[in-house]
Amino acid sequence: MKKITLVIVAVFLSLASLSGKAQTPKQATIKITGEVTTPLTITEADLQTYKQTTVIRKDRDGKDHTYAGVMLSDLLLKAGTTLGPDLKGENLTKYLLVSASDGYEVVFALAELDKAYTDRAIILANQVDGKPLLPADGPFRIIVQDEKRPARCIKQVVSLKIAFAK
Amino acid sequence: MKAKPHILNFFRCTFTGKAGVSLFLLLAVVALSAFTYYQDTVPTGAFQLVYPANFGNRVNTPADNVTTKQGVYLGRLLFYETRLSANNTLSCSSCHQQQKAFTDGRALSPGVDKVLSTRNSMSLVNLLWARKFFWDGRAASLEEQAAMPLSNPHEMGQSLNVSAQKLNGIKSYTQLFRLVYGDTLVTGDRIVKAIAQFERTLISANSPYDRYLKGTYRPIPQELKGMALFNQAPQPEKGIRGANCAHCHGGAKNYMELFHNNGLDSIPKDAGIETITGLVQDRGRFKVPTLRNIALTGPYMHDGRFKTLDEVVDHYSNHIRQSASLSSFLQGESNEPGGRSLKLLPAEKKELIAFLNMLTDSTFINNPQFADPRLSALNK
Repeated sequence: MKKITLVIVAVFLSLASLSGKAQTPKQATIKITGEVTTPLTITEADLQTYKQTTVIRKDRDGKDHTYAGVMLSDLLLKAGTTLGPDLKGENLTKYLLVSASDGYEVVFALAELDKAYTDRAIILANQVDGKPLLPADGPFRIIVQDEKRPARCIKQVVSLKIAFAK
Repeated sequence: MKAKPHILNFFRCTFTGKAGVSLFLLLAVVALSAFTYYQDTVPTGAFQLVYPANFGNRVNTPADNVTTKQGVYLGRLLFYETRLSANNTLSCSSCHQQQKAFTDGRALSPGVDKVLSTRNSMSLVNLLWARKFFWDGRAASLEEQAAMPLSNPHEMGQSLNVSAQKLNGIKSYTQLFRLVYGDTLVTGDRIVKAIAQFERTLISANSPYDRYLKGTYRPIPQELKGMALFNQAPQPEKGIRGANCAHCHGGAKNYMELFHNNGLDSIPKDAGIETITGLVQDRGRFKVPTLRNIALTGPYMHDGRFKTLDEVVDHYSNHIRQSASLSSFLQGESNEPGGRSLKLLPAEKKELIAFLNMLTDSTFINNPQFADPRLSALNK
């Protein structure tokens, strides 16, 4: 009898561990594609390998919040986007299309993202006020410093695509 | 110059193979009526898709399936063709009926095996601008979309190859395929391409709301109040009342191609896009459908749970279910400070619905160019 109980317990435990494994939530990623030399897929862990920065701006609640993440231009440079010395001539007709998992999309001209053109920081944030972004906002959100309307502070970002204006 | 199939041939070749003499005579009458209804030959050339400037030109037509008059002609026949189903009883039009703005009035729809679909039949309108199809957005083109209900065992239940084989034996069809594609071969790919071409012509741009935007319709006060609520976000601290529907349903087309968890359930039975991505952020997330012709397309939501627009408005007003996946714009969106749903007044709900009725385009649902070509011929 004891043996049977042990077997039942063992089976139960192994099932529990199996179902535990199956429930490991899948991690969201961001794909960088288009006019880049090295298309990338970025995870939250990858984000930690870049220089961290913060931007303070108001959200829809009208209050200031501190957003932490990395400069969008750093990610795009890593993928081989024509920023910095290469952002001239026809490359100035390039834009970044940001897409969210809810289908919302916004565009930035490459020159809006380049330190040689502007001091305004546009970051890919994964934290607000020291905490991870809420599921309905994150895990990745673009934060545009000082922009009056928050409409381009796009939530739940899943794709960054560089393209030429045609 | 390619020979153009005569419309009389279409009906003759289509129907006489297995029919007796009396049926032949009956169909001969039908064919003659059809002859008087149609032009002598199938129209050919580029199809001019006409729409208002405020709809914009961000259209979605694949480079390898340019819309032609002959393609649309063929696509319309195929849209109403029951041979494309396993038991020759269903066509696309079974679940997408023009009079119901291309829906079927059911919560879920029975397929060839009488098993119900898992989600509500979506209305077909202004698809020229759509880029993601189905309630979960899993198809990137109308061509890709059309293939799925055709072959799903619980919908039309017939593989594209079998459909192609069936049509390959019908001369009227092979002649049309030659006109559209250059040779008589019928393939699954060519079938879905033609259907997609027809669907791209389903343009609705003549609702009272369209005419209001053009300056040719003057809304009654109740409609105007509803429109204001529709477009305005609630700001109780400033005394501004609103329903903010336009956040997801705004613009001239009343369609923005978004995917949201709109608070139907805290724990959804149908996980929506999460089923595809495995991401908790996508739990209970579904396409935000067009509101064009919304008064005609009930029951509502991906599972057809709401029978009337009153129930839909009541949901947003009073019954938003909280969860981590609830879309952020619905969190704390209320006309009452600290409220968790819109909290509209009874009169405001009526005003909203008055505005929603402005989105019904009766020209669209009665346009003979979208109707079953065989029935049109019979009624003439």
